[in-house]
Amino acid sequence: MMDANPTPHNNHAAANSNAGVAIAQSTPAVETHGLNYYFGQGDLRKQVLFDLNLTFPRGQIAIITGPSGSGKTTFLSLIGALRTIHDGSLKVMGRELVGMNNAQLVEVRRGIGFIFQAHNLFESLTAVQNVEMAVELLGGFGSKRAQAIAMLEQLGLGHRVTYKPNSLSGGQKQRVAIARALVNQPQLILADEPTAALDKESGRDVVTLMQTLAKEQSCTILMVTHDNRILDVADRIINLVDGRLESDTSMRDFVTAHDPKTLDPRMFML
Amino acid sequence: MKTPLAWLNLLHEKTRLLVAIAGVAFAVLLIFMNLGFLGALSLTATQIYSQMNAEIFLRSPQTLEISTTKSFPRERLYQIAGVEGVQQTMPVYVGYQQWRNPETRFSRAMFVYGINPRDPVFTLPELQAPEAIAALQRPNTVFIDRLSRPEFGPQTTGIETESDRRRVEIGGQFTLGGGFASDGTLIVSDQNFLRLFAPRPLNRIDLGLVKLQPGADVEAVKATVRQLLPADVTVLTQEEIIGRDRDFWIGTTSTGFIFSMGVAVSFIVGTVIVYQILYTDISDHLPEYATLKAMGYRSRYLFKIVLQEAVILAVMGYVPGLILSLGLYELTTNATSGGLPMGMTVGRVVFVLLLTVSMCALSGLISVRKVVTADPAEVFS
Ligand SMILES: Nc1ncnc2c1ncn2[C@@H]1O[C@H](COP(=O)(O)OP(=O)(O)OP(=O)(O)O)[C@@H](O)[C@H]1O
Ligand SMILES: [Mg+2]
Repeated sequence: MMDANPTPHNNHAAANSNAGVAIAQSTPAVETHGLNYYFGQGDLRKQVLFDLNLTFPRGQIAIITGPSGSGKTTFLSLIGALRTIHDGSLKVMGRELVGMNNAQLVEVRRGIGFIFQAHNLFESLTAVQNVEMAVELLGGFGSKRAQAIAMLEQLGLGHRVTYKPNSLSGGQKQRVAIARALVNQPQLILADEPTAALDKESGRDVVTLMQTLAKEQSCTILMVTHDNRILDVADRIINLVDGRLESDTSMRDFVTAHDPKTLDPRMFML
Repeated sequence: MKTPLAWLNLLHEKTRLLVAIAGVAFAVLLIFMNLGFLGALSLTATQIYSQMNAEIFLRSPQTLEISTTKSFPRERLYQIAGVEGVQQTMPVYVGYQQWRNPETRFSRAMFVYGINPRDPVFTLPELQAPEAIAALQRPNTVFIDRLSRPEFGPQTTGIETESDRRRVEIGGQFTLGGGFASDGTLIVSDQNFLRLFAPRPLNRIDLGLVKLQPGADVEAVKATVRQLLPADVTVLTQEEIIGRDRDFWIGTTSTGFIFSMGVAVSFIVGTVIVYQILYTDISDHLPEYATLKAMGYRSRYLFKIVLQEAVILAVMGYVPGLILSLGLYELTTNATSGGLPMGMTVGRVVFVLLLTVSMCALSGLISVRKVVTADPAEVFS
């Protein structure tokens, strides 16, 4: 079921060129320099991110961990062009987000796939219609049904395309949300605790699916999670504490992701 | 084709949709009824003129409407009788009399027209027959309007009663309607008018009718007449005199105000209902709308969705509202036996549709702020 179907891939490629996100292979997916972020104004102003300097190369799967309130979600929402930033530098796919106006930020968002803890699907739309809402953003009106169905099939939901969210299980809903995030073949995926609402089994499935699809489409994934069971998909683990970078561990140093020995440093880290 | 999100969102909550449609339909019904009453009243207030056989009307400048006239010299009619295009000029006298109900013996104010029976003042067929003209010419004989209120008593030919203490006999009937000015109407000959209203002289008249030759140019004749006559008469076409009386009844009395208030209140009720529905709908879907924004949809798109929902509600509520109104119009017309002729006009159908759409659009505009300010960053938390 995870075999790639060549036809929808052609469509995806077309959609991508529509998005206008054509960058050199060497450009990092995300690059931050001296990134600070504050909530509130005046006396109530509170800094939540401090001097972050991070570079995420293309194709990397990075997991961001850290205690509650450490700024993980905030960091992700900045990269996702969901907030206006004033301090430091943040480049996504080579485009500087600091100083961008709202219309430009919206443009950047279209090239990013978002997966949230809550699936946020429209109850009034079927699974396939929810996915089509993403395709329509880039204008693929003629091929949207085919693209959406192909995506759902890859996620094992081929038999559920016309179901509405309230007749789907939690895992199935989350997979529809993932299909919606991936259908435009974004080069960057941001996921905030995508498995938090799922049981162990389906949480694992969902992450494996994301990993496979990401590798096929060679996109970058930044995922916030507290879920220890899924750490093995990561190329890199970043730990934030109180808005500061606490540790940045690359898994490339280890021979292979399936070598039992690789579990040791991770266990140690947690 | 784009996913019809507005439509699907509305359809998803069936109960809420039904409540919304019922609310809009109710507001539409109220608006139609208020406009219907207003229209019917202004029609009855002026339909007397459409039953008169004249293209040009003369009356005193101090006259406000048909029942509060000031008289002017009959001489004015003779002065213009020879004008090119004029076929006939006819005097009309009006006044109120106390009519005694022959059964209950209670008296009530009755409106009386005095005409020369040989003049075709009214188009009413009942007055054209030679027997009717002969009957009108008999002394102390009156014709009574079938649409007079029942309080005036029986209308059978031959019944005798008193009008301002003078014995009169009912000589026939006609169908005219008194509008605002009167609850009951009589038509009498000028000679009988003289008897009833003595000592009023016949050489001062209340209304002058000018019937034109077929094909004559109304505006040209009106201009000539205007030039010939001194300033103690106003010269009006049929359309103008109807307009003046209508403006008096609708504008000068509080009638127009009352029914305009009715329309305004219905509009507000409708706006509040639709706002309530749209606001709840938006609040329920706020995380989804914020997600759309995070995906890259612009505020403009969400704005359009809410306005589309508003327009869909408008149209879906308007249609049953219109159908119900047509039924109630007919019911009212029948219940008042034609006294309140509630008729639907194309202009009103279009006007209320536009009013309904703007009502819903207004609610949409008020409730849309919430969705436009939805923070896409909130969907992460
Ligand atoms: N909209 C906001 N306004 C003001 N302060 C905020 C806002 N959102 C988050 N914060 C604060 O910023 C800090 C970082 O919050 P953030 O949501 O990024 O943490 P997190 O690491 O995602 O936590 P969790 O693991 O609980 O999700 C917290 O102290 C939080 O109280
Ligand atoms: Mg968080």
